[in-house]
Amino acid sequence: MNDAAVRLSGVTKSFGAHTAVSEFDLDIPRGTILGLLGPNGSGKTTTIRMIMAILLPDAGSVELLGGYPDMKRRSRVGYLPEERGVYPKMKVIEQLVFLGELRGLLRKDAHRRAAAWLDRLGLKDWAAKKVQDLSKGMQQKVQFIGTILHDPDLLILDEPFSGLDPINQDVLESIVREERARGKTILFSTHLMEQAERLCERVCMISRSRKVIDGDLRELKRRERTGAVAVEFEGDAGWLDRAGVVEREEVGDAWHLPPNRIAPDQLLAAAVREGVSLRRFEVLEPRLHEIFVRHAGEDAAEDEGIKPPTEAKGGVR
Amino acid sequence: MRQIWVVLRREYLERVKTKGFIIGTIAIPLLMIGLMALNIFIAVQAAGSDRELVLVDFTGRIGEEVAGRLGELGYDIEVAGRETNLEELDRQVIEDDLEGYLVLDDLTLSEGLFAYRAKDSPGSTRVALFESAVNDVALENYLATISTGESLRSLIEGGRLEFESVVEVEDQEEAEVARVSGMAFGFGGAMFLYIAMLLYGTFVLRSVLDEKRNRVVEVVVSSISPWRLLLGKVLGVGSMGLTQMGIWLACAGLLLLVAAPMVATQIPGADLARIAEFVPGPGVILLLAVFFLLGYFLYASLFAAVGAMCATEEEAGQVQFPLIMLLIIPFVLQSATLGGGSMKWMDWVALFPFFSPIMMFPRAVEGAVPWWMIGLSMVFMAAAVVGTSWVAGRIYRVGILMQGKRPTLPELMRWIREA
Repeated sequence: MNDAAVRLSGVTKSFGAHTAVSEFDLDIPRGTILGLLGPNGSGKTTTIRMIMAILLPDAGSVELLGGYPDMKRRSRVGYLPEERGVYPKMKVIEQLVFLGELRGLLRKDAHRRAAAWLDRLGLKDWAAKKVQDLSKGMQQKVQFIGTILHDPDLLILDEPFSGLDPINQDVLESIVREERARGKTILFSTHLMEQAERLCERVCMISRSRKVIDGDLRELKRRERTGAVAVEFEGDAGWLDRAGVVEREEVGDAWHLPPNRIAPDQLLAAAVREGVSLRRFEVLEPRLHEIFVRHAGEDAAEDEGIKPPTEAKGGVR
Repeated sequence: MRQIWVVLRREYLERVKTKGFIIGTIAIPLLMIGLMALNIFIAVQAAGSDRELVLVDFTGRIGEEVAGRLGELGYDIEVAGRETNLEELDRQVIEDDLEGYLVLDDLTLSEGLFAYRAKDSPGSTRVALFESAVNDVALENYLATISTGESLRSLIEGGRLEFESVVEVEDQEEAEVARVSGMAFGFGGAMFLYIAMLLYGTFVLRSVLDEKRNRVVEVVVSSISPWRLLLGKVLGVGSMGLTQMGIWLACAGLLLLVAAPMVATQIPGADLARIAEFVPGPGVILLLAVFFLLGYFLYASLFAAVGAMCATEEEAGQVQFPLIMLLIIPFVLQSATLGGGSMKWMDWVALFPFFSPIMMFPRAVEGAVPWWMIGLSMVFMAAAVVGTSWVAGRIYRVGILMQGKRPTLPELMRWIREA
């Protein structure tokens, strides 16, 4: 038993002439939340399917919870595939009990847990309805319950947030954080950098079937810092010119200064010298989108329209 | 094991609970029984509405004889002679004191023509009964005038073949009954097997295709091996089929139990004992069950493979064509030999496992093949079940997760090799 929940080494998978995943290495330590990031078609789903042994790699090896991903290990995983699927004609509760039993829960335990989860996600009144009578978002929540019902050690969620409204996204996020606090490991894929930024401890970026970069999110951001600064202050901006700031951009009440000739500490010293009454002075961390673009190139980012985070909620803290 | 059971139970319950199943299994047979009962009831009513009639005999020769014949069939006939006042009888009919009366005269003797006078025309049953009774008697009367023996009459009634086996048979008549009922069971059973394998095979196909199309299969196979899923599915649909057939058998039994005696007592000439000969014994039913199970497993896994290969029902409709041909060919061959024509080489064709259910079962109940051949066909079928489920399981494994284009034959071979 090693400390990695998932370990991929040199994993390659091709479909005909198309290479979906190429020489992929990844370690996911137990008890972390890892975001698998990349544009559509970059190989996220193929990677996940190989972890679940739905696809077998052409080369390289996959370890899941300390060994070959056999049925026994896979039954300790909660897997939410990208392609959402339900039995439309089954009743919600029966469908959940079926999934629970399939993974080794006793019938009455599965029933009890399913009822509790339905209650928590506000679907209590829908338990006896047929799945096809639910809205898409509700069906997705039902599916999420199906994923987590048997209390798995590892959650693998392929694009779990797509199709959910912001309120339900928040509910889902809080559940993910809770599971993490209970010592579970979570792997989720997304093409929404913003989401990953909020939720992940670790990220792994893929582009065009290759890994671009991976590691601890904070460390990564520290490493990728460029020296860009955000300042907010009373009065006019003349002191910025005098301090030697050439480029600047007004964002709301603040000024964003891209990497300048002048280092952040010198700029702060200048502000103090000039007696500017500062409200905020922050060395900006790069946003994931910027990091991705920096490493994968603009072309890759535009491949399938990976979305830059919106300004309003961006990386400014 | 538990996982297979979980899949089986879901598959079974989800099917049995549908409206389609309830209607198909219970409502339709009940409706059919109801219609048959109504039919019998009407027929009985028509035949026996009023059995008291007057027969006016102007011939003075055959009246009593006709009355006697009709009396055997349950009619109460009052014979009146040539002095009868027909106007008086007409009046009675008009005033509903009498339903009707028969008039026999010289034309009856020479041409078999006679009259039935009433307000309403008689039902077809009554016409047939009266005609045959009067005709028989008139014919006998005519024959009596030209000859004395019964031989001429027998000849006129037509040729009759009596089968005599050259092999020693203890009771010739009993053997003949066994032969006829065996043929009936054989053909009925073959038809039944054909329908059952096609119907439940298609159910399996639909089930696989649905799971694939609504993408739920990816979640399911992440927790259970495709083999077990397939096995659970085939067993689930099979159990549903057995339930359905059980209910149908019960309905058929009920029909025999209730309707047969009713027919026998109400319609003259029906023989209850003869009906009983056409109730299959436990041996025949057991044999049918064995052939059904082997045939079902043989075809179900192949239908599952077809479902796994396709993306839409239209596509599946095309791809399953070869399978349906495999079912139709033996059925056509079997129908061609219906009635006992014994082409011995066909017995060997019946050993081909895909043809065995439909071709070997009738041979087995008719006793047309030695027991070792029946055993051999079962061994062949069991071996074929192992083979087809191996191939089908591999196609299924790969196919259920494939989206889009249907595989070409070389691709299919690769799936089977590599899965």
